[in-house]
Amino acid sequence: MDLFVFLALLQDGITTGAIYLLLAIGLLIVFSVTRVIFVPQGDLLAFGALTAATLQSGQVPGTLWLLDGAAAVALVASLFGGWRLALRGVLTWGVYPFVVTAAVMLLAPRQVPAVSILLALAIVTPMGPLIWRFAFRPIADASVLALLILAMALHFVLIGLGLIFFGPEEASAPTLTDANVDLGVLNVSGQSLVVLLCCITLVLGLRWFFGSTIHGKVLRAAASDRLGARLVGIDAAASGALAFGLASFIAALAGVLIGAVTPLSYDAGFDIGLKGFVAAIMGGLISYPMAAAGAILVGVLESLGSFWASAYHEVIVFTLLIPVLVWLSLRSGSAEDRA
Amino acid sequence: MTPVRVLSLCGTIAGVVLIPAALPEFYVTLFGYVGLATLVALGLVLLTGISGQTSFGQASFVGIAAYATTLLTKLWGAPPIAGLIVGLVVTGTTAWLLGLVTARLSGHFLALVSVAWGISFFSLFGTLPLLHGFNGIGDIPPLRLGPLSAENLRVNLGVIWAVVAIVLAMSASLLDSRMGRAIRTLNGARLVGDSVGIDTARLSRSVFVLAALYAGVAGFLFAHFQRFISPTPFNLGASIDYLFMVIIGGAASLWGAPLGAALVVVLRDQFNDWIPRITGRVGDFELLVFSIVVILLLQRAPDGLLPLLTHLKRRRPPPGGLAIDVPAEIPPAPVLAPAVAPGAELLALESISRNFGGLAANRDVSFAVHAREIVALIGPNGAGKTTLFNVVCGVLSPSGGHMRLFGTPVEHLPSRRIAALGVARTFQHVKLLPNRSVLENIALGTHLSGRAGLWRAMLRLDRAEEARLLGEARAQAERVGFGRVLEMPAGDLPLGQQRVVEIARALCLRPHLLLLDEPAAGLRLAEKQLLAALLRQLRAEGMGVLLVEHDMDFVMELADRVVVMDFGQKIAEGPPGLVQSDPAVLEAYLGGLA
Amino acid sequence: MKARLFAAATAMSILGATAAAQAQIKIGAILSISGPAAAMGVGYKAAFDFFPNEIAGQKVEYIVRDDATDANTAFTIAQKMISEDHVDAFIGPSLTASDAAVAPLANQAHVPMLAMAPYEYDPTKQPYTFNDAQPLSLMVSVVFKYMQQHGVKDIGYIGFSDGWGDQVLAATRTSAQADGIKILADERYARTDTSAEAQALKLMSVHPQAIMMGNSATPAALPVVALRHRGYKGGIYGNHGVVSPAFIKVGGEAADGVIADTSPLVVYDQLPDDNVIKPVATAFMADYAKKFGPQSVNPFAGYSYDAVLLLQAAIPAALKAGKPGTDEFRVALRDAVEKTHELVGVSGVYTMSPTNHNGQDARAAVLVEVKDGAWRAIR
Repeated sequence: MDLFVFLALLQDGITTGAIYLLLAIGLLIVFSVTRVIFVPQGDLLAFGALTAATLQSGQVPGTLWLLDGAAAVALVASLFGGWRLALRGVLTWGVYPFVVTAAVMLLAPRQVPAVSILLALAIVTPMGPLIWRFAFRPIADASVLALLILAMALHFVLIGLGLIFFGPEEASAPTLTDANVDLGVLNVSGQSLVVLLCCITLVLGLRWFFGSTIHGKVLRAAASDRLGARLVGIDAAASGALAFGLASFIAALAGVLIGAVTPLSYDAGFDIGLKGFVAAIMGGLISYPMAAAGAILVGVLESLGSFWASAYHEVIVFTLLIPVLVWLSLRSGSAEDRA
Repeated sequence: MTPVRVLSLCGTIAGVVLIPAALPEFYVTLFGYVGLATLVALGLVLLTGISGQTSFGQASFVGIAAYATTLLTKLWGAPPIAGLIVGLVVTGTTAWLLGLVTARLSGHFLALVSVAWGISFFSLFGTLPLLHGFNGIGDIPPLRLGPLSAENLRVNLGVIWAVVAIVLAMSASLLDSRMGRAIRTLNGARLVGDSVGIDTARLSRSVFVLAALYAGVAGFLFAHFQRFISPTPFNLGASIDYLFMVIIGGAASLWGAPLGAALVVVLRDQFNDWIPRITGRVGDFELLVFSIVVILLLQRAPDGLLPLLTHLKRRRPPPGGLAIDVPAEIPPAPVLAPAVAPGAELLALESISRNFGGLAANRDVSFAVHAREIVALIGPNGAGKTTLFNVVCGVLSPSGGHMRLFGTPVEHLPSRRIAALGVARTFQHVKLLPNRSVLENIALGTHLSGRAGLWRAMLRLDRAEEARLLGEARAQAERVGFGRVLEMPAGDLPLGQQRVVEIARALCLRPHLLLLDEPAAGLRLAEKQLLAALLRQLRAEGMGVLLVEHDMDFVMELADRVVVMDFGQKIAEGPPGLVQSDPAVLEAYLGGLA
Repeated sequence: MKARLFAAATAMSILGATAAAQAQIKIGAILSISGPAAAMGVGYKAAFDFFPNEIAGQKVEYIVRDDATDANTAFTIAQKMISEDHVDAFIGPSLTASDAAVAPLANQAHVPMLAMAPYEYDPTKQPYTFNDAQPLSLMVSVVFKYMQQHGVKDIGYIGFSDGWGDQVLAATRTSAQADGIKILADERYARTDTSAEAQALKLMSVHPQAIMMGNSATPAALPVVALRHRGYKGGIYGNHGVVSPAFIKVGGEAADGVIADTSPLVVYDQLPDDNVIKPVATAFMADYAKKFGPQSVNPFAGYSYDAVLLLQAAIPAALKAGKPGTDEFRVALRDAVEKTHELVGVSGVYTMSPTNHNGQDARAAVLVEVKDGAWRAIR
């Protein structure tokens, strides 16, 4: 392997690693606030990519009807919970889907890439809070394992829906740029720079969100001490919805980014999600910088593994997780009787 | 044998013989799959439901055994029995190696690692050239039972369910044994397990291997039943399905396994059949509907369906309430502990310190406990009593100083080794298996007096020993007044009585030294009097007792000597009367007021 | 628990105990409509929407089920179709692994089955198994003949890490050996991978004169784009799984010049007028376009269609031997399918014999090349 090949592999690994990083961040936010290991986040990634692809082809994606349907149920449910809840319900689950639906109807036929992408984000982002509302909130106090198993079942629901909405074939999300950038020996595609740029922007944006906004601080409080947060009046249901909303936004964004580089099928998200999840675990499910390092490591390792022994690259990535987890678990000492 | 057991045995035999004969061909296949899934699910009940470890990788073990037997019988022409043996050896070894790596993992970390190996093994099955790739291997020879060739699906179904019945019976025997009780402590009560001398790390690895072996048996049967294998049935999705079965059926009971397996297999089949008929579309809605049903079941019945079906039969408290009988006179110990010379030194602490990071919870604490002596450790909140108690029990190791038990240095022994030396303890926050009977909880304490391991328990070769252990537990129970409530779930007792269960459990270790962490907390007056009488009796029999206690009246009336701690240090030691008037003690307790 | 199971079992056995002649011919189709192979499976399924409801005066019922790309599920479905639905023939399965799982059942129950995925077996041992998909060795050999004629001496292989990748590799090995071409590398990627850059770099590092691909549909464009992006100048060859409009759409400029084998159906309008397949394929595509709109060529639909053509031709003879639903009918149906002679389908021309249950010849393989954003037949 010469230097050129190594650099090319590194660049490839960093681009995919950036996507894993986005998913890892989403997983960490959701886990720290709700203890849900949100594996099906990867399926929302596929939803994001395929929704954008469908919009770009001038059609109305099935995910829009899913949003409208689920929002309608949530709206009706919120009407029975006092006027403040009802008001909030009407705004979130009445006005918002209406606006999005209208925008899709008006704008989708024009097939403008940037618009398709924004609409896809607007459609897929509310899926997170809806999933929280209907799947996890009813058993929010169950054990981490029960929530994990529910998350697995949810993954199958999402790929079932994905198959119905998008069919089994792969599709590409619209690209924002076709440019190629020459960096000396390396010829880097513009889209992979867009991926990196978005990733960095999002990380900085989240830093600002958690550091400087009231919602961000609430989430941090809810994450660091669930019981304490509840005692000081932080609404666990609302912070859960916010966490899931952030995760689904991040997933949808990752979807439109990677979907432009690689055509994705309805079931492609799970594998990507699992690798994001490997990265998140490397962060011990708590530390963001560790997760970032983990994500890049997973991306680069996958790239190198694909080069050396391509048939075994999945084995390499997932086997890597085992020593890391063991190390983490040794470091955290005896985890017994923490149930 | 109880009538229920006789009935279920007859039912099983009838089932194994009659069901295959009566079922139409297709349902033979379907129930074959139910049987195979039941085997895997039984392992998962032991692993997840009983011992609290979750695995998303059981399908890999099915696959390892299936591929092993296929390679041997189809490609190398060995008889199936060789396939079974090699398959199980390979599966067991793989699980054991994985277990070595994952032994320290618990909770969701183990679940996550299992996802990783689930994917890796699936990938390997498809990639290793030896295993013929993703398109699979066909024409695997069928099983032969003398003249009966299991080429016939009905014979196969009989074989599968006979194996299921055997494995179910063996699992039931296991749970109804010394090792079974030990396994139950793995789920959230490992400290209890350690405190009665169970090697919990090794045991959880054994259960892990056992569950893998069940999956291996299923894999062996699967290969010779379907006679075609490819990597797909051993992927992560299949492992998730097995977990769904266990969770839906009810992870806490063995019967949850067949129930869940039947439900999942039959539901999937029926959805595959009816959804295309109703919607006119194929392939779209089957998975969606199935997984929505799974989610609803998880939400509505988080403990599975079996408890819903059987909850009506739950044992009611005996008439006359829960009051325990306070014996007029406490009977002597049923089995006398080997005598220790009266007044011999049992426990000696010399300058024990324990730090947490920069914080010193104990500094230079020294005292001793002798045979025929009750020593009380008291002090205000945060004085470091519990830390010291945990150091003595072996839960924490001291940062400095020396500790001797019966003359042997024990600074770095784990709790189970300390328990084996003849030291028993109770817990400040009661730790019992709330769903198990009082008798079973007490019998946990007899763990070290038995020898029978997993296999002897599964084959019911441990019955004589088991009877002896239960007899001992029963005697200890009666001694503390639990004769009438032995069969009650321990969690149904009032808190005070749960404490007494813990003491009875501790006494089953036949300790020379008894360590009690706030034994009187939550007890009513009569119960306290009983407890005090019991402790005096134990002292009279030669035992040494160290107790941490807040209840001053109780301590002052009972203890021979009191050790007072404050800010991690010993500030006073002596007979109750003297300590009570010690100025340092008054200062510690009354602070600035004194 | 056991008692309840037993009661249920008895009830089921009473319900299921009917097996006699049926009023209509029942055809069971097992297709991979969901799961990893779904993209191909929906193609197979599409043709069922306009199949004849009556053959030789007999009503025909098609029972279509999804095996979710799982041979295990296919096995269960086949068992049910045999013993509950009493099907007279199977169309499919459409997945090689499922074919292997179902074949022993079909042969045991004397149900003729028309496998639609490339599946290697011995027809004398599995007399009830037929296969209407071109054997991969036939298809791939066409590509290698072309390579040989154009002076290719060594190739690199890149394929999916799944059954398709394995099968194309096996055929590639056979053809490469026959044509004296060396295989320098065997690289794999998963259908759902987001990048094949590393594999492309690895291939380029061994400098093959050409690349042979064992992948299919849209994800097949991944290594093509990566290779061209990294400046690979050699020829890129694919198998018939690659040939789809979506491949060109995603591959863009990089897809230009990719050469692959394919079914005649795919380029039916470019076939010479004297090609016997042309009129059959034209008629089929007219029906297909009516249902699914123009420009929606799907070679997989062709395999389903050919399966029905084969059955349609054989059923009259079988009806003379017995009524649908009887063993006599199925045995005769098998015999009749085996006697198929010069039957023109949309994927090839079939002439079966006891030792050849595929019956296709060189007419079943066409070479195509991507030119100006479309697949063009190479004459």
